[in-house]
Amino acid sequence: MGTPGSAPASGALRVAIIGNPNTGKTTLFNALTGLRQRVGNFAGVTVERVEGGFQMPDGRRITVVDLPGAYSLAATSPDERIALDVLRGHDGREPRPDVVLVVVDATHLGRNLFLASQVCELGLPVVVALNQVDAAAARGITVDVPALIHELGVPIVPTVASRGEGLDPLRRALVAAATLPAPTPRFALDESAETTAARYGWITDVIARTVRQRASASGSASDRIDAIALHRLGGPILFLVVMALVFQAVFSWATPVQDAIESGVLGVGHAIGQLVPEGDLRSLVVDGVFAGVGSVLVFLPQIALLFAFISVLEQSGYMARAAFLMDRLMRRVGLNGKSFIPMLSGYACAVPGIMATRTIEDPKDRLATILVVPLMSCSARLPVYTLLIGAFVPAMPLLPGLDLQGATMLAMYLLGTVAALGVAALFRRTLLRGPVRPMILELPPYRWPSPRSIAIIVWQRSVLFLRRAGTVILALSIVLWALATFPRTPVAPDAPPAVAQETQLANSALGRFGRAIEPAVAPLGYDWKIGVSILASFAAREVFVSTMGTIYGVGDAGESALADALRAERRPDGTAAYTPLIAVSLMVFYVFALMCMSTIAVTVREAGGGRIGWRWAAIQFAYMLALAYGAAWLVLVVGRAMGLG
Amino acid sequence: MTTGSSRELPVCTCPLVDSATGAEATVVAIACADRDACRLRVMGVYEGATVSVIDKKHCLLVDVRGTRLALGAELAEGITVLTRGIPAS
Repeated sequence: MGTPGSAPASGALRVAIIGNPNTGKTTLFNALTGLRQRVGNFAGVTVERVEGGFQMPDGRRITVVDLPGAYSLAATSPDERIALDVLRGHDGREPRPDVVLVVVDATHLGRNLFLASQVCELGLPVVVALNQVDAAAARGITVDVPALIHELGVPIVPTVASRGEGLDPLRRALVAAATLPAPTPRFALDESAETTAARYGWITDVIARTVRQRASASGSASDRIDAIALHRLGGPILFLVVMALVFQAVFSWATPVQDAIESGVLGVGHAIGQLVPEGDLRSLVVDGVFAGVGSVLVFLPQIALLFAFISVLEQSGYMARAAFLMDRLMRRVGLNGKSFIPMLSGYACAVPGIMATRTIEDPKDRLATILVVPLMSCSARLPVYTLLIGAFVPAMPLLPGLDLQGATMLAMYLLGTVAALGVAALFRRTLLRGPVRPMILELPPYRWPSPRSIAIIVWQRSVLFLRRAGTVILALSIVLWALATFPRTPVAPDAPPAVAQETQLANSALGRFGRAIEPAVAPLGYDWKIGVSILASFAAREVFVSTMGTIYGVGDAGESALADALRAERRPDGTAAYTPLIAVSLMVFYVFALMCMSTIAVTVREAGGGRIGWRWAAIQFAYMLALAYGAAWLVLVVGRAMGLG
Repeated sequence: MTTGSSRELPVCTCPLVDSATGAEATVVAIACADRDACRLRVMGVYEGATVSVIDKKHCLLVDVRGTRLALGAELAEGITVLTRGIPAS
């Protein structure tokens, strides 16, 4: 017998949850604690450390920490290393848990018991949640729970996490387990061929004694779907159709909501403007706050939809299939299909994309993936693309369901994706040279995504976006408004408003600063207003739009007014300041440039932290800036040579 | 190639990549980088395990203990299995 679980010092019982990927571990964590977090259906969505808690009827507090998904305690990936360190008490910041809750999938016990049996050897009290017993029953699998408890020597509670079944018995079992001795170790805790074979041999015997399966006549539904989804020809076609639908939906479905938000912001801005006396304060509210924050706020529906679609792809199990399909292409650039999952997540946001690289075992593969994830066009680029496309690209129909605006947007996403593959190939042949690692990837069964968990993800991401709009973008909008408003320039009282505004802007602190940096962006055909907006957007890309909103003072007129203002803008010689060519060049700049403080911070941490982390983050920032400047310049030069713009 | 007594088809050893689709095979040896071998074993592809190839594409789709694994072809090249039937190659 092992040693009894030590009494928690703080009085709160500490429980760590561990399980294979795709067992419903995170769903169970959410159900137990009520804490909102992402649920995944492919290896390793749970990459952030999340803690929650609940209280027993007697007032006892239980703290629960959700560990990353792991197949074993072999620690072959950073994810598994985190889990093992916490369970062994080797993680300096994390006290050793009092009880370990192992989540096993009742439909895949033969594989899931491997991790469970390893956890039983750590000298900690263990409780097993036998999850998805409903799915097992539907597939004709019956588990003799008392017999399994006898075999494993630990409490086992059947659960259906997605429906919240079995939670109360599970909570009671966790509290009771803290006073139980740790289970007796059966095998050495190593990963040698002999131990692994012996462990699986034992599991096979346990399954034979405790699990009954009714023979099924036909293949599973997942296999039938895979016959199409993984088909040599049909698979890639289906993938392209899915991606095209996602992007088309993001733009067409979001429009009515965007229009509603725009008129709402206009209404509120106008109403508040009326309450404030005419003067600098009204200007601050209308031209500063509402122009800046409002111009970014309208993109919330698109960002929410993009996150919803990416989550559906993850939870349904299709993401793993996409990785499988892309393996052939990814191998050409020196990575394997697994690297495609973080890249696809990068379409929503580079931060979770970079964190999802933790499931990649090989350090060089992982680093190369981290370096290129920010090239995938993220949701923060959407406001920039949408503004410029809306202003300068006509909605000329090309194909059924696709017009020139949609095609331009698609081209921007493709450009980023192709560049990511090319740069990854370059890194794998230079700084990160090494053999291509073969892929070992689990294809989880297809599942209906849970609307509740999709709603949670969309809600979380929307709150994050709104918080950013309310802090960084609000602060920058006020600063930029002040810089554009002061010092005051006296103008003739009979001057038209447009001329008065232009004179004021040109002589303001922002105008002077903008002209000082103009030589740096002049080779790209940009004027000082674009230069200032680009500079401001190094904090976050969407600030470009809010800065433009502030510069053009379209606070109470909305996004379409900003597009009109851009189209009407003239150079001193009377020619258009913004041509479609300059708009495309500017979008190309945004495809490549790394303008996001959060991405830099997460790269530093995930690339090794400290000096090493900073070095890789600097390399990433520098190569992306060089690429952005070079490509934007090339677009301008080639475009002009072709007689465009 | 070793042959044994059987009902209709000979028992033979071959790389997993060459074993017949749909036929059960027993892993007898794993020859690849240590960390890949370790990964394979914990995922259920260990010496003595029963696996079956579901489909062969650029990767191998393998059924292991009821779960679907995609294995890179060069990995499947290094896994020797004992199978009943004629190797597909």
